[in-house]
Amino acid sequence: MATIVEVTEEKALEVKNLTFTYAGAPAPSLKKINMPIAKNSVTALIGPSGCGKTTLLRSFNRMHDLYPGHTYEGEIVFEGRNILSPKEDLIKLRTQIGMIFQKPTAFPMSIFDNVAYGLRLQGIKNKTELRDRVEAALKGAAIWKEVGERLKDDANGLSGGQQQRLCIARAIAVEPEVLLFDEPTSALDPISTQGIEELVTELKERVSIIIVTHNMQQAARVSDYTGFMYMGDLIELGRTEDLFVTPTEKLTEEYISGKFG
Amino acid sequence: MTAVEKRKLVSKIVLSLSSLSAALGLFFLFWILYVLVSNGLDALNWNVFAFEGAPPGYEESGLKQALVGQLILVGVASLIGVPLGVLAGTYLSEYGQRSKLAETIRDISDIMMSAPSIVIGAFVYAIVVAPMGHFSGWAGVTALTIMMIPIILRTTDDMLHLVPSTLREAAFALGAPKYKVILQVVYRGAKAGVLTGILLGVARIAGETAPLLFTSFNDNFMNTDLNEPMASLTVTMYNYATSPYEDWQKLGWAAAFILSMFILSINILGRIILLKKKGK
Amino acid sequence: MTSVMDRLFGNMTRITAILVLVIVAWIFTVLFQESTLAMQSFGFDFLTDEKWAPNLEKFGGYAAIMGSIVSTFLAMVLSVPVAIGVAIFLSEIAPARLKTPVGISIELLAAIPSVIYGMWGLFYFVPIVRDIVGGVGISMLAAGIVLAIMILPFTAAVTRDAMNTTPDILKESAYALGGTKWDVIKDIVIPYAKAGIIGSLILALGRAVGETMAVTFVMGNVHKFSWDITQPATSIPVTLANEFTEADGDLYFSALFELALVLMVMSFVVIAVSKFYFLRRTRRAS
Repeated sequence: MATIVEVTEEKALEVKNLTFTYAGAPAPSLKKINMPIAKNSVTALIGPSGCGKTTLLRSFNRMHDLYPGHTYEGEIVFEGRNILSPKEDLIKLRTQIGMIFQKPTAFPMSIFDNVAYGLRLQGIKNKTELRDRVEAALKGAAIWKEVGERLKDDANGLSGGQQQRLCIARAIAVEPEVLLFDEPTSALDPISTQGIEELVTELKERVSIIIVTHNMQQAARVSDYTGFMYMGDLIELGRTEDLFVTPTEKLTEEYISGKFG
Repeated sequence: MTAVEKRKLVSKIVLSLSSLSAALGLFFLFWILYVLVSNGLDALNWNVFAFEGAPPGYEESGLKQALVGQLILVGVASLIGVPLGVLAGTYLSEYGQRSKLAETIRDISDIMMSAPSIVIGAFVYAIVVAPMGHFSGWAGVTALTIMMIPIILRTTDDMLHLVPSTLREAAFALGAPKYKVILQVVYRGAKAGVLTGILLGVARIAGETAPLLFTSFNDNFMNTDLNEPMASLTVTMYNYATSPYEDWQKLGWAAAFILSMFILSINILGRIILLKKKGK
Repeated sequence: MTSVMDRLFGNMTRITAILVLVIVAWIFTVLFQESTLAMQSFGFDFLTDEKWAPNLEKFGGYAAIMGSIVSTFLAMVLSVPVAIGVAIFLSEIAPARLKTPVGISIELLAAIPSVIYGMWGLFYFVPIVRDIVGGVGISMLAAGIVLAIMILPFTAAVTRDAMNTTPDILKESAYALGGTKWDVIKDIVIPYAKAGIIGSLILALGRAVGETMAVTFVMGNVHKFSWDITQPATSIPVTLANEFTEADGDLYFSALFELALVLMVMSFVVIAVSKFYFLRRTRRAS
């Protein structure tokens, strides 16, 4: 039914027949989604509000489990296992699949402690190791130059764009395999947005990225693959340059040309 | 044990402790409720409502004077306190808004809400009881009114503030003067919330004992004259429960039960009103 | 005609609002005036002398003041950990279907008049204290525990409210890094809500110090302060409750008023500190 282009690269994740229903909801929010996610690339999820793109994103790191009562059917395969299984170790999963949120979420601590947080959670106490990894992460998030001299400062003193890059540093410090971005630039100004987009393109060398965005131009700029979703279905998944120029599905074409959404 | 396993264990332990403390807290509170209900129901009979207080040992002994006195004291205090509180809250929300005066009044009023009620009793003693030469219902009413005003003020202020400014602007745009906008539009819009605030205020002062101890004092016999000392359920409860007489103690529990049921009903009623408003 | 009504209404509201300030000022003034006799007679010794002998016209407030401080402190020590536990339970642990009923139960329990806690304490708790630690049962210890139980619902409710101000998205960020519930509570919720939590606890303390009825039944009113909490004691509210109606003579009354003034100042200062230092007033958007 959906048009899914074949992903030739190695897959980081594979979604198989995923159906998701929120607690108490009359109908599922995700309907039998099948979707491969290519390794070391950026896959964008686009679609009108309520199409389920964020719901799908939050399934990858089982964020939904914080709010009991929902049901998953189907599988998401990651590193040879189904991460939707009730036996899945969520704490471990979340160190392998990280998430950046819609608004910058700097913790009420210093810049250093923010980035070190995930590392400390894993039990890393050695001061040198922490310092090195924090520095590497801040460099990886292209913010080291701005904050390297003031790591003890309160993170909330940073600007919005800086805070979001801090959150990215925090997420990559634990060296995950996958990074999930949930509309990461929707609260930022255009210059900061550009910075984040450049960062996403750099980061894909090291991690596989899935980014939800309501901004089609952003998806076109940043991603290798794009998935278009509508009312809980994955309508089409294709290589970005193909999908935006010659979409296969009529619905995709209508969305892209602004007929709705 | 790895660091991750250790963290998970610590988390489990802490969360268990926290659930335990919730259980501990609830245990004590339900113990008290149980005691209240069982003793209260046990002591409750028609005598309680039919008869006034009497010396210990008398069969025909009840709480009539305390019930009537409580109603009068709370009723009169509300008649005075509610309008004053609502008007003051109206000033804060509609006129003063964020001015220095208004903020000061809000802060002081908030502090007064948590201030010791027995001190208010002492204050009223000095300004009402001493000049009058004796305890009186009016002194009790004064104390309760003073306690009531900050509560009603705060809830009215908050509830009126919730009415969207567009509603007010629409009324002004039709040429309505400010007092009409407030009376006819704002009050209407905040009706449920203000009413709930009033109910909660009444419930709170209905449960007060300390401010009445040396203002309205007490009376074992029926008295509806506010110029004289007046019985109240709360003070009666206190006197009877601390007495060495078993039948008086029983009456004390009956009084406690009746008062609690009254207060809980008002609280629940207030919540229902708010819920109904939300549902609309 | 309308402008007259308009001005009248506006003035009425302003006058009633200012009335609040007037009353508070009046209270302090009257308390101060009534205390002058005692203040002149005893000076600062009033705060440190323990001897309270009405028949000798000698009044020292030490026992009452220390009693207030220690019983309140004891109540907070017992109550705060449990209250925080309940708050954590309500805001982070309880499943949705438990949250509302338990939360509402706690709020309704806070509405039960304190005199009933006192009654329960006298008839049911004091005997237990008597059995466990000996003595008469009526004691600072019993008072501290009953007071702790009485302020528990309030303390738990305001602490829970403070914790609930933490934005979900902040908590989710910590979970997304692999944090456990406790990690999130200790590293995110508590630091974020720190001011609100501390402010709420101090506010609870301010209320506890002025509490009369929960304590009067079980404390005793003995004007002797001892660190042995199994002994009966007194606090300012307890003294006032027991002795105001029996006092005679200007000096006796003045001493009682001075105690009331001390209590009012203590309570006022504590609550003001919590309010101005820690609790920012939440204004709902209009």
